[in-house]
Amino acid sequence: MPPELESLVQALTEGEREQSLRIVADLVSGGMPSVDIITGGIEKAMAALDKKCTAEQFNLLEIMLAGRAVMAVIRRLFPDDAALPAVRGNVVVAVLEGDIHDIGKAILKIVLTGNRFHVIDCGKDVSVAAVISAAAQCGAAAVCVSGLISSVIPQVRALKPALARAGLAHVRVLAGGAALKQCTVAALNVDHVGQTAFDAVAYLESMTPAVVCHG
Amino acid sequence: MDSVARIRRTMAFQACDRPPVIAQVFAHAALACGRSVDAYVASGVVAAACQIEARARYGYDAVFAVLDLTLEAEAAGGVVQSRRGVYPAVARPPLAPDDDFRRLTIPDPRTAGRLPMALEMATCLRDACGDEALVVGLVQGPMTLAVQFLGIEKALFLAADDPDRFLQLLDYTAAVGKAFGLAQLAAGAHLVLVFEPAACPEVVPPGLFREMIGPRLKWLFGAFTKAGAIGNWLHIAGKTGAVLPHYVALGADIGNFDYCVDPEALLEALGDSRLCLDGNIKSLSFVTDSAADVEREARQLLNVFDRRGGFILSSGCEIPPESQEATIAAMVRTALAWKSGQSEV
Repeated sequence: MPPELESLVQALTEGEREQSLRIVADLVSGGMPSVDIITGGIEKAMAALDKKCTAEQFNLLEIMLAGRAVMAVIRRLFPDDAALPAVRGNVVVAVLEGDIHDIGKAILKIVLTGNRFHVIDCGKDVSVAAVISAAAQCGAAAVCVSGLISSVIPQVRALKPALARAGLAHVRVLAGGAALKQCTVAALNVDHVGQTAFDAVAYLESMTPAVVCHG
Repeated sequence: MDSVARIRRTMAFQACDRPPVIAQVFAHAALACGRSVDAYVASGVVAAACQIEARARYGYDAVFAVLDLTLEAEAAGGVVQSRRGVYPAVARPPLAPDDDFRRLTIPDPRTAGRLPMALEMATCLRDACGDEALVVGLVQGPMTLAVQFLGIEKALFLAADDPDRFLQLLDYTAAVGKAFGLAQLAAGAHLVLVFEPAACPEVVPPGLFREMIGPRLKWLFGAFTKAGAIGNWLHIAGKTGAVLPHYVALGADIGNFDYCVDPEALLEALGDSRLCLDGNIKSLSFVTDSAADVEREARQLLNVFDRRGGFILSSGCEIPPESQEATIAAMVRTALAWKSGQSEV
């Protein structure tokens, strides 16, 4: 890996936004294609953060600082979201009706974007119907719901049947967040329960390309 | 032996007739009594009646003078959104990152927002329970209030980008907690639980906990002790194994540990620390598991801590309002039937 990309990976994982932007400016002016900066810099940084999470050294502050730096770099390289290169699939993220805590969703959005998934953010306290509509509209490969309080469990359980009724049975449903991660896949009636945002990415990456690229 | 004596002795690692059991029940008390969450959070008198009735039904050792977790933000000028059937939420935080945190007014617990309702609740509970049951007040810790007063992203970015100003914010939020906690003690609470989930190592790095949050928790606990609290209870949810050994140095007598902290590993990490522990049945187990599952988990915990003592059987965090009564009853029944020294090898 070119030393400049190594420096970028380090700056991103340490959450150094301004330094990351300076390195990216140098890389761009040196002729490196944006897509190479994404795959060689941002994705490597996300992998390093994932490793940190697995080693139980995770903390929200460091992830948020790294996420802020990553998003600043992506915005610099691709001012328009739609121009993101080689997107792996569309993923809908939401916090369902009854819950307004959305920090978990914000982290997930950053981690998914940093790993080249296109994210459609439905917001917080949203109905199952709104999520289904968003999934149908964008041809989502997956719907990810984050929940901090246990009272949203009935809504989470309702997602898969509602997707099936809408002809979207192929769309995977993932759950995470402080309350939901205490539950089993069966209890939530979902395809996957992630302990961290990186678990969700690992699950999506493990899906066959045909599923991920659906739509 | 009454509950307060049982808890005092447990905090001091002295023998008791049985281990104390505390169900961390707030609005569940309302649902168990046929009332709504909405009614519970709107009146200290109603909430106290629900707490008393629920304790009479279950037989645990403590009642909570706790309405919900938006009281301080509301009292400080934030906008709180009522939501039918669930706890209220902070819709607009009271502060902005550019505010001068050194010039803010501490909300008066006797007049600001619903803080007086919490005081009324503490008084009702103490009048009804005396020392028969522990009356627990609650304030949110300085970090948790900082997160609530600014919003989590703004608060955490401020901590990283401008630590000096963030310390000013923590000084303010600690002062808010101190005023509210002292008022609860004066109103009848035996002790004040400091609820500080935002200080969890999953949220902030250990250095920030040690240098910024720890000193302010110590200051709070010192004030509560001086005001006559029978002990100090620090409650941080999540993976707290790395910070629990430091609680005693902060002035905490009781430390809550959540379901994700392994009890055996915790005992090893604590060594000969005299921190009384409470925990750690998974909160969601009370909603989704069977009474037999909860009873089995309770027995395992009592077994692990039987020799050491200094243990209160409880959940890892709040027992959700919609929990099944049978699971809470199973936890309580297991503690009531337990004789110290009966550990099952």
